[in-house]
Amino acid sequence: MIRARLLRGAIGAAGFLVLGELVIRFGIGDKLDFPAPSAILYEAVRLLADPEFLAGVGTTLTNWVLGLLLATVIAVPVGVLLGALTPLERAIRPVLEFMRPIPSVAIIPLAILLIPVDELMKISVIVYASVWPILINTLYGMHDVDPLAKESLRSFGFGPLAVLARVSLPSAAPFVATGIRIAAGIALVLAVSAELLAGGFNGIGVFVAVAGSGNRTDLMMAATFWAGVIGVLANVLLMAGERRLFHWHRMRTGAAES
Amino acid sequence: MTRKLRCHAIVLGVTVALTLAGCGGSGDSANTAANSGGLEKTNITVGALPIPDPVSLYIANAKGFFKEEGLTVTPKTITGGAAAIPAIENGSLDISQTNYVSTFLAVSQGKKIKLVADMYQAAPNTFNIMVPKDSPIKTVADLKGKTVLVNNLKNIAQLAVTSQLKVAGLAETDVKFVEKPFPEMGNTIQSGQADAGWITEPFITANQSKFGFRKLVDTMTGQTADLPIAGWMATEEWASKYPKTLAAFQRAISKAQQLASSDRKEIEAMLPKYTQIDAKTASVITLGAYPSELNANRLQKVADLMLEYGYLKNPIDVKSVIAAPAAG
Repeated sequence: MIRARLLRGAIGAAGFLVLGELVIRFGIGDKLDFPAPSAILYEAVRLLADPEFLAGVGTTLTNWVLGLLLATVIAVPVGVLLGALTPLERAIRPVLEFMRPIPSVAIIPLAILLIPVDELMKISVIVYASVWPILINTLYGMHDVDPLAKESLRSFGFGPLAVLARVSLPSAAPFVATGIRIAAGIALVLAVSAELLAGGFNGIGVFVAVAGSGNRTDLMMAATFWAGVIGVLANVLLMAGERRLFHWHRMRTGAAES
Repeated sequence: MTRKLRCHAIVLGVTVALTLAGCGGSGDSANTAANSGGLEKTNITVGALPIPDPVSLYIANAKGFFKEEGLTVTPKTITGGAAAIPAIENGSLDISQTNYVSTFLAVSQGKKIKLVADMYQAAPNTFNIMVPKDSPIKTVADLKGKTVLVNNLKNIAQLAVTSQLKVAGLAETDVKFVEKPFPEMGNTIQSGQADAGWITEPFITANQSKFGFRKLVDTMTGQTADLPIAGWMATEEWASKYPKTLAAFQRAISKAQQLASSDRKEIEAMLPKYTQIDAKTASVITLGAYPSELNANRLQKVADLMLEYGYLKNPIDVKSVIAAPAAG
């Protein structure tokens, strides 16, 4: 079952690459100068031996992980607090709903102006963008807590904190995890975008900017390829973690194999 | 590295403060000189674009010219002059590359910026208007009503093209300027979305060899011959706070500029190390000049052109924008 799915996935990816190769080599002709997938993959493999690129990946990943951790540390407690105190949530919700749809990339220029330390600027925009999905999912998780379970505990004489710790938090945890997984993708986008816009000592985005100035589209694409691979890996890892930790949740909600 | 660690420590500290925290000046105290001839600051971060213009920064680093002055210079990749001005203002960069048109525009808007060293000056065929090989555009006058790509609107590119239009009896408004980054110009013109582009190296060479583009005109002729293009800038405050550091930087850069202009091989050797221009491309591209002193008379030409074409409302006396090297 899983093998068949992997096989289909591999065939799909290979077909896409072959199609891209054929279109670029024979379809476009001299109308467009764009490296073929084979050229991009070749450069992508060579990048693994490029110390500058690897240092850049290290920098980008460090910012990404720190940003994501910080966002989690901020968003989860706030989400739990708002979820537990409905009047407070009602008061703050309009502000949240206003700030949430602001495209995070649009605040990068502002962050460049306001925050003089480069790494802090980059981590700040990552945090800003990643806070929303975690916060909103935590809120949903808190709303989704089985009221019967809460009532039962209360009637046994448990205080509000005990109810929170024994029922609400475990019940909201799978939602929090989903929020973090969604935020991880967004955080990577911001980590690279901030580097593209602001430059820096190194980073995947800085590498792409430098490759562009040197007319190396193949290197730009190769670095972008690795950014994509990192995003996929992060998603797979977090999803596997969710499955392992919250197996009971999928059983309960009957979520389909995705 | 320590800077990074320190920063991460700060980041972990300000969990709640979130984005607007702003973490004031980046520890100047650590840099106050205890040695090295009384430099006020020995570690500086200098912003530069990954293009041939700022090569002296990397030459001076590689040859130890900064070290001889007691300076430790960390180059930082920037993405354009527009982002560089906030960076020197908020202190994330000490000194940065800038192009003179951007600088004078910023000065006319009241920014307190000083030019501290010259960097790059146009030479023949360093900034050309290029068209496809089979384009019906044969002369500059044929550009009337056409779309011309520039890397930035209302900046050096548009100014240079306009000066050539004037020679051909056209005005700025006779062509349509569209902004595109250099790497995208070739494809945009080749696919017919634009008619011509103001292109510099290594893209002149690349578009010639890949698409067979031909040169319509060298924009650095006549009024714009030997036009100063780019220099190093700092804020007025920085220049007056760290005069000895500035003088040390100026001496080292000037020495590297002399080396660069006397031996092209030095530039070719350095380009693959900080740009993605490989050695082969580096050996064939056309390079501008690398003046070793900041000359107010030469720079005045840029400000005067800007005034003539309406980029500036009021004249600028370039002497007032220059932080001249200290005597001795």
